[in-house]
Amino acid sequence: MITQSTASSCLLRLRGLAVAAGSRPLLSDLDLTLAPGERVALSGPSGSGKTTLLRTITGLIDPAAGTVELNGSCPDELRWPCFRRRTVLVEQRPVLLAGSVRDNLARPFSYRSATSAFPAARAEELLTRLGLSEDVLAQEATSLSQGEQQRICLVRAVLLEPQVMLLDEPTSALDEGATAAVEALVSTETETRGAAALIVTHNRDQSHRWCHRIHDLAAHRVEVRSP
Amino acid sequence: MNGPAGAIQLSTLDLIVAASLILVAGLLSLVLRLNLERRLALASVRTVVQLLLIGYVLKFVFDWGTLPAVAGMAVVMIVAASRAAVQRSSRSFAGATWLAWGTLVVVGLATTLTVTTLIIGVQPWYQPRYLIPLLGMVLGNSLTGISLSLDSLLESLAERRAEVEMELSLGASRWEAARTPLREAVRRGLIPIINSMMVVGIVSLPGMMTGQILAGADPLVAVKYQVVIMFMIAAATSLGSIGMVLLVYRRLFNDKHQLRSELIVRRSE
Repeated sequence: MITQSTASSCLLRLRGLAVAAGSRPLLSDLDLTLAPGERVALSGPSGSGKTTLLRTITGLIDPAAGTVELNGSCPDELRWPCFRRRTVLVEQRPVLLAGSVRDNLARPFSYRSATSAFPAARAEELLTRLGLSEDVLAQEATSLSQGEQQRICLVRAVLLEPQVMLLDEPTSALDEGATAAVEALVSTETETRGAAALIVTHNRDQSHRWCHRIHDLAAHRVEVRSP
Repeated sequence: MNGPAGAIQLSTLDLIVAASLILVAGLLSLVLRLNLERRLALASVRTVVQLLLIGYVLKFVFDWGTLPAVAGMAVVMIVAASRAAVQRSSRSFAGATWLAWGTLVVVGLATTLTVTTLIIGVQPWYQPRYLIPLLGMVLGNSLTGISLSLDSLLESLAERRAEVEMELSLGASRWEAARTPLREAVRRGLIPIINSMMVVGIVSLPGMMTGQILAGADPLVAVKYQVVIMFMIAAATSLGSIGMVLLVYRRLFNDKHQLRSELIVRRSE
């Protein structure tokens, strides 16, 4: 069992969560809380269930046991599309649809769960902060490099202003400069907007400088940091 | 010899002459070493045996003509059609045949009975001479639409799982995430019937109309029947494709707006 956050309020709470890949159990009896403003790293060897845990939290797959709560409510109460919009997942392998970058960024604002129109100016600002020019908006999304696509996926998630960001290796395809920009953007989102981030990373240095806590899933150990 | 309706009756010798046409194809296969002669022979024998059998069954059902006999024949046809619809798809999932069966029961009977009762005005409504051939045409075309749509939808959901799940994870409902694969699947199922409606009478004469004309019917009467048949087939194919796609969608996306891609399995050859 992994220990709790010491934060008094919590956005996301996992209670006794068990995660499996098909019939193969990966994690069991996992308790974890995320408070507003917190960035928590998930570490562990490949195959330890980090990615599956993020997919389970967002409800793309069912947990083998346990519950997930956002602000004390279960996803069924919040309705699943609304819950997912507030606990948005950015997967390691960027997935963009055919069409321009603008089409891709605007698409989630066409869903029924959207509560506002596509914020074009904010999109341009975020792209610039991540080292991408505004011109990229008109380009075919799938023709961009892996690193550019990874940053666009992050921009697409941040535009939704989620309460919790589930980030799976968000800088795996980025150079040092772009990595620093991504870290700064996520830090700003957590510190100024009170969002929380659960970040899968294999990079120990990154988790030390960026995150408040590091959960080692394989060792069932929590390390508290002061980034 | 002319029949009562003006049709020329065929003798056994006539059928043997027709079979000689296949013999020519078989000889060419041998000469060119295409290795198709065995399959041609098997296909020819199956054609004769299957058609003779169905001829006797139809004669029995027509002569008997009771509702249970017609209903029994219809059930056998629908079961065979639903199995064929699912078996043609390269991927499948548990329960797909039942969904195809349900779709074909509703769509097949609704369209066929609309034509026999409201348009042709058959008395009694289950008269097998009309009901069975029309149901056969509806099922034959509808199963093609269903199998094409099913194949497209399962292929699309399996290949594009990452895209569908990405949309779900950004707050799309299951309907919004599945919309593109669903639309493509229905379109794929309807392409053959729309294409055939576009060229009917220009490139080829439909089999039923040709049959009626050969049997001595007035071409304009045959055309009227053919128009009714084409609309009936188009409606059955459209409704069959749409119905099946919606049922598969409900089966593969649950109330938690999850794509249950683990249910999709590749059919072994």
